[in-house]
Amino acid sequence: MAAEVPAEPEERGDFNGLVPAPIAGPFRRSWAWFDDRTGITGLLHKGLYEAVPKRGGWAYTLGSATLVVIIVQFFTGIFLLLDYVPSVTQAYGSLLYLRTNDLFGDWIRGIHLWGAYTLMLLIGVHALRTFISASYKKPRELNWISGVMLFFLVLAMAITGAMLPWDQASYWTAVVVTNIPHYLPVIGNGVRTLWRGGNFVGPITLTRTFALHIWVLPALLLGLIGGHLYLLRRHGEFGSWVNYRTTTDDPAKEIAERIRRAEPPYPTRGSEPLYAVPSETVDFFPDQLFKDTVVSLVLVVFIFVMALISGAPLDGPANPATLTYVPTPEWFYLPLDQLLVFFPTELIGFGVFVVVGIGATLMLALPFIDRNPDRHPIRRPDVLVPAFFFIGTVIYLAMLGVNRLYNL
Amino acid sequence: MSMGRVSRRQFLVRGTGAMAGLITAMLSVPAVGLLLSPLWASTKEIWVTVQGGPIDDIPEGLPTARIAAVPLGFGPPTPAVNRIVYVTKYQGRLYAFCNICSHMQCDVHWEPSLSLFECPCHGGLYAITGRNVGGPPPQPLSQWVHRVYVGADGKHYLQIANRLQEQI
Repeated sequence: MAAEVPAEPEERGDFNGLVPAPIAGPFRRSWAWFDDRTGITGLLHKGLYEAVPKRGGWAYTLGSATLVVIIVQFFTGIFLLLDYVPSVTQAYGSLLYLRTNDLFGDWIRGIHLWGAYTLMLLIGVHALRTFISASYKKPRELNWISGVMLFFLVLAMAITGAMLPWDQASYWTAVVVTNIPHYLPVIGNGVRTLWRGGNFVGPITLTRTFALHIWVLPALLLGLIGGHLYLLRRHGEFGSWVNYRTTTDDPAKEIAERIRRAEPPYPTRGSEPLYAVPSETVDFFPDQLFKDTVVSLVLVVFIFVMALISGAPLDGPANPATLTYVPTPEWFYLPLDQLLVFFPTELIGFGVFVVVGIGATLMLALPFIDRNPDRHPIRRPDVLVPAFFFIGTVIYLAMLGVNRLYNL
Repeated sequence: MSMGRVSRRQFLVRGTGAMAGLITAMLSVPAVGLLLSPLWASTKEIWVTVQGGPIDDIPEGLPTARIAAVPLGFGPPTPAVNRIVYVTKYQGRLYAFCNICSHMQCDVHWEPSLSLFECPCHGGLYAITGRNVGGPPPQPLSQWVHRVYVGADGKHYLQIANRLQEQI
């Protein structure tokens, strides 16, 4: 027969031994009641006290910083919606109103723009760190793949967001970007028509792009972030090679001892024993979370200050009848824009979709291409050399683009 | 039963799947229809007169930018949008170029120093006849569908429709 469940939660002492009571005094009983119904203490415990690698913690702050900046984007985005009207006749005016009439309205827009810039760099550095430390290897392949998909989603957020203000920069971005799909074979014209709502960029282009930017992409983004974090917690944070060195002359024994003493979420299921448990771990809270918060704070301060001193530009209103406007892509699209210059007439479709598609596929497939069990970057030249060549090419393309567009 | 050997469990499993499929299909039909409707929406042809008066004074061999307020002809009602018409007289022919580049649709302009149309985005070049002669553009500069009429003052005026001669 089942034992009687204790009616009074405080009889169970310190919340099943998970954590000290979070709140002492008169609220202790209310918390206990709430915890009994929700299991919130266990959830908090799982969120805060999981083990993470002890060494290299500053390098592992980039993911949480990315999450913080994404939250900043959601937050400021909601506030921009208080004024913004997704209509070709009113969008520009609504942002002008935001700039001139609302207290801090333009600051919010500036945070949204500089948040986007910061996010782009941050995801790049986060991916680079993960790549160099080979954190994507078994069993974390899907952590990497969901991360790459998040990167693509953020790029899509950036490009759809850039189309919304309906100033000159935004209008010409809309024209060029919605024109790219028409180089797809067979379905190209159809895709362009669907995005634009017709042959020319017009009111439906704006409302459809708005729907993508405000609902479709954020919903996908939130779902994937959830998956990405779930996988992180399932396998535990890998860290890098520095967390797995053995120091005794009997590595097998040392590794067995590590696995025996492992704290959740280690040992990592499906990992080879050497990389199953970091040599030393600390609790996520407060050790890692403190470092995470320092980095997030620095970035948020940077975003706030840049938003205040540089803000977000607003060109003249959209004008298709211009002869002088030079459409320029945002800096993170410069490499792709430069590719467009290089590919001659017959190869535009090839350049746009095959070359970029191969690049995207290689990024997604990295965990299956790199099957070398070694994690130390020095012993992985077969992937690091091509990858740095690839990164160098992207940067070189961007520099060529800057040179071409700004005559530096 | 003559229905064969469908167990209660199989009935529940298949029934749940069938009903979920029906719900998905019911939601998909109107949603996909709305999504795809621009594919078969027709553009209403509307003719407008190119602004800036008669075209008699436009010099031979010098493309001249005029403006026309062109209605979109599709989508929810919006005001007509100003567009460029490069009125060009060359070797006895009249062209009414649209200044949309055939490469990425940036704003092409006549560059007198080159005697070519030039695109600022990726360096596309077009001859005075609209032929693509340099850079990445895959096809010539397109013209507005156009016609000339003689006004009450005896001068020639240009009218364009809200569509291009060739799809770009």
